[in-house]
Amino acid sequence: MGRFLGQALAVARKDLVLELRSRERLVVSATFAVLVAVVFSFSLDPTLRARSFAGAMIWVTVIFAGILGLGRSFAMEREQEALSGLLLAPVDRGALFLGKFAANLAILLAVELVVFPVYALFFGLDFGGALGGLALIVLLASTGFMLLGTLFAAVAAHTRLGETVLPVLLLPLLIPVVIFAVSGTQRLLVGRPLEEVGGNLRMLLAFDLIYLFICPVVFGSVVEE
Amino acid sequence: MSGAAPEPAAAPPVEARGVEKWYGPLPAVRGVSFALAAGDFLALFGPNGAGKSTLLRCLAGLARPTRGEVRIAGEAVTGGDGAWRRDIGVLSHQTYLYAGLSAAENLEFYGRLYGLDRLRERVGEALEGVGLWERRGDRVRGFSRGMQQRLALARTLLHDPRVVLLDEPYTGLDPHAAAMLGGVLERLRDGARTVVLVTHNLSQGLELASRVAIQVGGRWISDEPRAAVDAHRWERVYTERVAGAA
Amino acid sequence: MESLKGTLRWAYALSALAAASVLATFWMIFFYAPTEREMGIVQRIYYVHVPSAWVAFLAFGIVALCSVGYLWLRDDKLDAVAVAAAELGTVFTTIVLLTGPLWGRIAWGTWWVWEPRLTLTLLLWFIYVGYFMLRGATETPERGKRFAAVLGIVGAVDIPLIHVSVNWFRSQHPQPVVLRPEGPAAAPEIVQTLLMGFLAFTLLFFALLLFRYGLERLRARAEALRVRDELDRPLSTSQGVLR
Repeated sequence: MGRFLGQALAVARKDLVLELRSRERLVVSATFAVLVAVVFSFSLDPTLRARSFAGAMIWVTVIFAGILGLGRSFAMEREQEALSGLLLAPVDRGALFLGKFAANLAILLAVELVVFPVYALFFGLDFGGALGGLALIVLLASTGFMLLGTLFAAVAAHTRLGETVLPVLLLPLLIPVVIFAVSGTQRLLVGRPLEEVGGNLRMLLAFDLIYLFICPVVFGSVVEE
Repeated sequence: MSGAAPEPAAAPPVEARGVEKWYGPLPAVRGVSFALAAGDFLALFGPNGAGKSTLLRCLAGLARPTRGEVRIAGEAVTGGDGAWRRDIGVLSHQTYLYAGLSAAENLEFYGRLYGLDRLRERVGEALEGVGLWERRGDRVRGFSRGMQQRLALARTLLHDPRVVLLDEPYTGLDPHAAAMLGGVLERLRDGARTVVLVTHNLSQGLELASRVAIQVGGRWISDEPRAAVDAHRWERVYTERVAGAA
Repeated sequence: MESLKGTLRWAYALSALAAASVLATFWMIFFYAPTEREMGIVQRIYYVHVPSAWVAFLAFGIVALCSVGYLWLRDDKLDAVAVAAAELGTVFTTIVLLTGPLWGRIAWGTWWVWEPRLTLTLLLWFIYVGYFMLRGATETPERGKRFAAVLGIVGAVDIPLIHVSVNWFRSQHPQPVVLRPEGPAAAPEIVQTLLMGFLAFTLLFFALLLFRYGLERLRARAEALRVRDELDRPLSTSQGVLR
């Protein structure tokens, strides 16, 4: 078990070090997210109370920014076929998956740390005392997103279409995450208490647990030659 | 451990049994069987497209044979994780290196994956062995092809594998790097390690090998001990007959 | 490769049964089931719409099972069943998505409404699309089959999750129009017609599945023969040629 986690950690660390040095995924995703917020600002009727649909705007932005960043997740493994080097090592394929997933999640959370404040700023949102609940929703939804995202990023990296096939594959599968994350965020935004989003949190957690089991298991079939 | 041999030490370090690899309807390897003994140095020659790289990938567990099987030290090779992976080191013309990491970081990463102890020390020794100690902190991105291949070689041998598989390692190397590679390969002929070298470099291959084989069209058309082969005649006939068949 | 004679025999047998039951169904639809009070003759689309939905999801269930089997055993026969089921599933899903709005236009006055089951079917359609995209987009066909199998498994797990989430979403946002896609309460003739429809469409599905499976296996066989022909130039070398 210790070896498994150690390997996953080594992979995650390697990905994060590489990302911190080049920052390309972070910059691309975050810039995209901010620009989407800008576009929304101009396209929406300013007399509308943004509070009533901000949750939707934010999560749509996060999903697309996240998919953008995912596209690059396996790109570095394609250079010099580093993935083959990884597969040669006595690494549990599930540990390999979890390491990549953890790095992807960290990067997504960093992007979300930009998205939420930016939307709050542009649309005059007040998250007030709901930060704790919000953090939970963000964490659980992002986990589900990155579990499926990492798996299909590996798939996409080995197709001729590459990253462009990611939205087609992921968006239908992520509907549950979107539905529960948006409604939870929405409720917290309008000041509902944390108990009311308990159902949302439980469903997101169930989603996460299911794929936390399935994705590492099928990952081996995806990356083998 | 499989039930193939009464004691693990008796099992051949590398064994292929009826290995076939088809990509859809196209065959790359069409029935190759052989077994190496500890200390063997096999040089595998053949024209481009003969499937030598594919065979090597099957030996390394990077490609799953359509039929037949591969065994490393008696253990069956699969596409997944396995203890036998500790026993093999693979050097390809792809370096498997991360351009954004430094030389030392690349080796440390792989070392962690192999679960090596005394990691810092071993990385240091490996870098010195290929003459890259001074560049240990530099990003691989700035390395020349020769330096990258040297680092890749260090990575291949870092975990001290019993079986070393090399796929045309001389490709694109400058004379200095090629000489260094030759030196390392010489040292691999230590009687305990088993080496498979796929190469176009006839003279180098013949010089190092204890066993010589030729693969054409996915099959082995020749497999002989080095001692039974007359080097000059062999080179001439090979260049005429086989290399022209590509 | 395996002989397909048995498959073909079963396919013909099932086709005969399917043809009979489909004819019976349509007879029942037009002459046996009562005309619905509010919507008249158009309501009969329902007898095509619902069985099609059943087949669409049954097909995906088969895709999922064969996908698990394929990843585990790597048997091309399982993949052949999967792709056959997926193709048919896509067709029936499309039928659902076409008959639904036709019904909806008459029943609710709009072409589309985010009714949970229709939404779920729409997403199923997209997953099928993804399935075929993956099959066609890889360097080697074998990898395409593997990737499609992964999507088949993940998709099958996701469908119930989508179902739950979409239903929940709807319960939070009650629609002004009262939706009763089940149609009028269960007069026995209606139930019988519906059941006949289920039987007929299921038989039709399996008959077509067998034909399509046979076609896929024949295609694989033809491809293998074609390539073997091209490659079997005799190798003019033998042992010892280089001595």
